[in-house]
Parts: sequence; structure tokens; C-alpha cells
Amino acid sequence: MNSSTKKWLFLKVSSFLLIPLMIWFIFNLVSVFDKDYVEIVSFFSKQPSKFLFSLFLIFSYFFSALSISEVFEDYIQNKKIKNAANKVLNIFAIMMPLLTIIIIFNLKT
Amino acid sequence: MIDNKNPLSPHIQIYRWHISSLVSITHRITGIINIVAITIICFWITFLLLGESNYEVIKIFLQSIFGKFIILSLSWSFGFQILSEIRHLIMDLGYGFEPRMTNLTGLLVIFGSFILTILIYLI
Repeated sequence: MNSSTKKWLFLKVSSFLLIPLMIWFIFNLVSVFDKDYVEIVSFFSKQPSKFLFSLFLIFSYFFSALSISEVFEDYIQNKKIKNAANKVLNIFAIMMPLLTIIIIFNLKT
Repeated sequence: MIDNKNPLSPHIQIYRWHISSLVSITHRITGIINIVAITIICFWITFLLLGESNYEVIKIFLQSIFGKFIILSLSWSFGFQILSEIRHLIMDLGYGFEPRMTNLTGLLVIFGSFILTILIYLI
């Protein structure tokens, strides 16, 4: 299997998994966003929301990195610039969810 | 390093606009809005570490009309992305490529995203 096929498959699998996670996330965001500090901390630090939100972050950044790299593929011709842009994108897509998940697991009610 | 000689995608101005192109460009725009929003939510969670007293400013902002408008817009953006993603997956399975069907599913995504936003708020 060549790398483009692999990338397409990863994109489709992550997209499929992201749909229920997005539905769960947006329904919960609307119900907690304007609540008190204690309620919001409790939402993010208790199960199953802690686990589901972590999964949501991982798949969202993974899917976005793959999608944005497709946009780079479409519009950036210079290989050096494209590689640099992809590297920055991948570092960002790993660091953001990782740091946030660490924070969530350290939140105390 | 040798530059890739493959052609790039032409700019969108050269295409004649139709429902599929509107859904496609909106899909990309909402995708970018959503990942920016998720990143802001990550910073929002980071703010929780600073304690209850420091959180008051964010709470006041989120309870304001502007804060509520942002969450409402975000609900639409996520709703659009969910429906458009389902449409993409169905097309990946080989269905819905006829012009009439692409127009119909495109319209379903556009109008469905508004209905889904209302549902998110009602449930």
C-alpha cells in the first residue's frame, strides 16, 4: 500500500470515528460552557467525559493535520516549504492534545 | 531540492459555482474554524488550572451575549462538519454521484446544519 492510500485510509477512519465524538462534544459544550468553575472542572475531570474528550482531541488533531496537509499538497509547490509546513503542523497536532490531556488528568474537583 | 512539477489545484474563481462547490468550500472553512475553536478550548482548559478566582473573567465572557453567539456559531460549524463528513463517507462508498443527488445531499447538508443547531440547543 503506498503512502497516499494509507493517508486516505487514515483520513477516512478518523473521520468516521470523529462523527460520534463531535456529536457528543457539541451537545456537552452547549450544556456546560456558561456554568460555574466547579461544574466545568467536574465535567472535564470525571469519567466518561475525561476519556471521551481526550479521544475527541486526539482524533480531531489527527484528522485536521491530515486534512491540512492535503491543502498544502494542493497549493504549495516548493517541496522545502511544504515539508517545513508539514513538520510544524505535525508537531502542533501532537503537542496540543498531549498537553491538554495531561492538564485534564491533573484537574482536581 | 528539485521542485515537484505536478500541477497545483486551480484557484476557486475559475469554477462555476454550484451547490457541491459551496458545500466543499464551506467544509474546508468550517474545518479550519473548528480546529481553531478546539485549540481555544484547550487554552480554556489550561485556564482552569489557575483556580476559581481567575476563571471569573472567562465565565463573564461566556455568559455574555457575544459568548453565547460564539457558542451558537460553533454549534452550526460543528453541525455542518458532521453532516458534510457523513456525505463524504457515503460518496466514498460510491453512492450519490449523480448531479441531482449531489445537489440534493448538498442542500440537505446546508439546511440540515441549521436544523441540527436548533436541535443541539433544544435537547
